[in-house]
Amino acid sequence: MKSTRPLMAAIALTAALSAAGILSARAANVIDDWANIQAAPPPTLQPVTVDAKTTALLMLDFLHSNCNSEHGKRCIASLPIAKKLLDEARANHLLVVYSAYGKNTEKDIWDQVAPTGGEPFVVSFLDKFIGTDLNKILKDKGIKTVIVVGSAANGAAFGTASGAAQRGYSVIVPVDGISSDNLFAEQSAVWNMANAPVISSKITLTTVDMMKF
Amino acid sequence: MKREKLLLAFAMAVTVGIGTSQLHAASIIDEWASVKAAPPPPVKEVTVDPKTTALVMADFVQPICSRYPRCMASLPVAKKVLDAARAAKVLVVYTSIPKVPISAVVADVAPNGDAPFVQSFTDKFLTTDLEKILKDHGITTLLMTGVSSNGAIIETSSEAALRGFNVDVVLDATSAATTYAEQFVAWQLVNGPVIASHITLTTSDKLKF
Repeated sequence: MKSTRPLMAAIALTAALSAAGILSARAANVIDDWANIQAAPPPTLQPVTVDAKTTALLMLDFLHSNCNSEHGKRCIASLPIAKKLLDEARANHLLVVYSAYGKNTEKDIWDQVAPTGGEPFVVSFLDKFIGTDLNKILKDKGIKTVIVVGSAANGAAFGTASGAAQRGYSVIVPVDGISSDNLFAEQSAVWNMANAPVISSKITLTTVDMMKF
Repeated sequence: MKREKLLLAFAMAVTVGIGTSQLHAASIIDEWASVKAAPPPPVKEVTVDPKTTALVMADFVQPICSRYPRCMASLPVAKKVLDAARAAKVLVVYTSIPKVPISAVVADVAPNGDAPFVQSFTDKFLTTDLEKILKDHGITTLLMTGVSSNGAIIETSSEAALRGFNVDVVLDATSAATTYAEQFVAWQLVNGPVIASHITLTTSDKLKF
């Protein structure tokens, strides 16, 4: 009598691969699969030691217009964390660069994390390297690593982290310093930073408490 | 008596635990398991204007596509879109990554003639003349196919949108290593800040040339 074990194992493996979405047979498109898709496991956070001389802190779009109680609650909640990081960065003489989008100016940045004056400020949507001299600002100061915090996680934070990684910078992202009010958006932005082709090899995920200066 | 003390200690531990979790804004990693996928975005019919549309065949090259079973499975769909685009005389642009030449494009969807070709990592506008190629041909809309969704597709679509192009992403001709990556990319493309207003999701059977 033949054992049914190999068959059962094959069925189990097929089911497991299918659940993980990595079998070649695919539904017509991802919309048809939507309800069956499970989020991937969370990425691992790593302790980080910052080299003050070659690292810049990018404070992205902490503005009244996107970081507010109506559609930026998680951004508001992240302000004390961003401030803690900003204070540590300043105490260690890191280059701090601010950004905004559209017609916002430095005056539209929240007071508790506001620029002190004289810090570089760039204006663009999402990827802050596009249409600005951010790359030159960083290169002129010998920067090799950027710390990215700000809002939205799936907007300026992901766009700029990715833009930096593709330009050869190492990127540190404290996940408690980036936010989107839509949790699915925040989760997937974080996951993609740790898993996307090419850029993930340049990005380290951490938390503000896990960073040492 | 001993039991009461234990109960008290337990109650205090629970209270402190709750207090701590309220004080510290939990990071997304702590909330991971409770995050639900957003509802699926709409998939729309698209009528292609051959004069102003370019079909982008992103990274359908052996070393990448053959690594992703979902890319290999998407090839018949990509070929169908490619054939329809060629018949309608739509500009077709191929991409690859540095050091992987156009000859590495998989045979099913291989270029014919002198299709424009750019090489870059995930954002195909970065360090290439893709924008110039498109503008020189009067292109205002990109039809995106290829691999991977969470690499070349999302990066190039986002950057195209930021540069003022309209982008139609053919979902069944794009792929990633996992359905999760395809899912959040599809959602992000039409919900992400700024880019969403420039991007439409479609499928091969909803495309008209």
